[in-house]
Amino acid sequence: MATILLEIATPDKGEIYKNDINMLITRSICGELGILPKHANLLTALLPNVMRIKENGGEVQIFVSGGFMEVTPEKITILADAAEKPDDIDVERAKSAFQRASERLAKKNDDIDIDRAEAALARAKARLLVKGVPIG
Amino acid sequence: MANLQHIRRRIKSVKNIQKITNAMDMIARSRFNAAREALLSNVPYVAKTKEIMRRVMTQMRGREYEHPFVKTRADLIAEQQEGAGKFLFIVIASDKGLAGSFSSNVFKSAHDMIEYDGTDTGSSLDDDDDENFHKKNFDALKGIKPSGKRTPKQQRQMSATGSVAKATQKGGATSKTNVNVAREYNDADYVDGIELITVGRRATTHFKQRGYNIIKSYHGVSERPQYKYAKEIADIVIDRFDSGEIIDVTLIYTQFKSAISCVPDSVTLLPIVTDDYAKASATLKEEYIYEPDVVTILNDFLPRRIATRIYGAMLHSAASELSSRMNAMSNATDNAQELVGRLNLFYNKVRQAGITNEINEIVGGANALE
Repeated sequence: MATILLEIATPDKGEIYKNDINMLITRSICGELGILPKHANLLTALLPNVMRIKENGGEVQIFVSGGFMEVTPEKITILADAAEKPDDIDVERAKSAFQRASERLAKKNDDIDIDRAEAALARAKARLLVKGVPIG
Repeated sequence: MANLQHIRRRIKSVKNIQKITNAMDMIARSRFNAAREALLSNVPYVAKTKEIMRRVMTQMRGREYEHPFVKTRADLIAEQQEGAGKFLFIVIASDKGLAGSFSSNVFKSAHDMIEYDGTDTGSSLDDDDDENFHKKNFDALKGIKPSGKRTPKQQRQMSATGSVAKATQKGGATSKTNVNVAREYNDADYVDGIELITVGRRATTHFKQRGYNIIKSYHGVSERPQYKYAKEIADIVIDRFDSGEIIDVTLIYTQFKSAISCVPDSVTLLPIVTDDYAKASATLKEEYIYEPDVVTILNDFLPRRIATRIYGAMLHSAASELSSRMNAMSNATDNAQELVGRLNLFYNKVRQAGITNEINEIVGGANALE
């Protein structure tokens, strides 16, 4: 089966994933994307989401909190702001972040940055989703 | 003859200094490990961003009008001739001293870059780096004959190069002294067209003393850089670049090569000149698909790239600072050790001389009694 090289790098943890994979499913700002080997050149921005990586018959999930993805026929490069494997996700932190962000959005004060709060909410949601934590 | 107590006191003070330098060495060592770790985990990210950047910019050739940060050299020169934008330099040095020549090396490189007059050839280590445009830009600009009305900036450069030529005629001075002469002659002109952002207390004091216009400085972050400061600097830079106040942004920092080799380095952050990516174009011919479209992506990607570079430079600088301090302090400790040895020898000699003297006196006294 054809494979494509996937590399995920973050600014503070280095290269957290590097492997030949069969397929990558992720979400860009334009919607859900499935990348197969020999994909055309593509550059896009990612939303916070849980990526599904198909490799060697199995499937791995990795959370990315947004960033950029460059695809060439041989290689996918993901520059993530942060990326975590499900085991590394801090559920408590994600929960409190979720709480904070939704409170901020609920208040709708003028002095808060709505975009930022929404981004934080999306990140927390995606993190909780991987862990299967119900969102209240 | 030196007296014993005096020597004893000196030995003690040298030993105390040795204790301090030794402690500083150890502190620097442990912080250095953390800084190196941070740097190493940042390197792949920066390298990948650079790679993507190179490919995207290759694609952008001939389509420069699509984004304000991207220009051809010809456009850049044309714009610089009519507009009177300033040059901005970001200088990253340390907060504290006692790191050998770390800071002064950065300043030297910064002055070479800021007062660059076209005479200094190839002192920078990254001549093979595609992204050091400042000199290329300057050289290209210099080659143009001044048109009827000159802009302040051009005047600045023309008068700078002019006075350097004069200085060279007067006496075969080296390019280093040329720079100084140029600075003395044109201080006001120079300073007017330049803005600085400094990271590190030492950088701030150094450039403030020399009358430069520092628009923002960051203190207390040099050893442990945080991304948010890099982001802040990037935002300021992009803001000012967008409004046309500045037309050229150069970053000066110390590149960490290994624990014994840290070299000052400079890179141009803005504008991004596509001519310099010509080399890569042979390898990649296919068009990119941009989702949703090229301007939206670049609007996100370029500021990110700039912030990433600044952050990377801060990490390099932190690791360099700490490794310089480590070297300086371990040298100081060794020197102190040697000095203590020598002083001890001297002390013993003086003591022995004193004893011999006393014996001589006693023997002399006894002889005299007989």
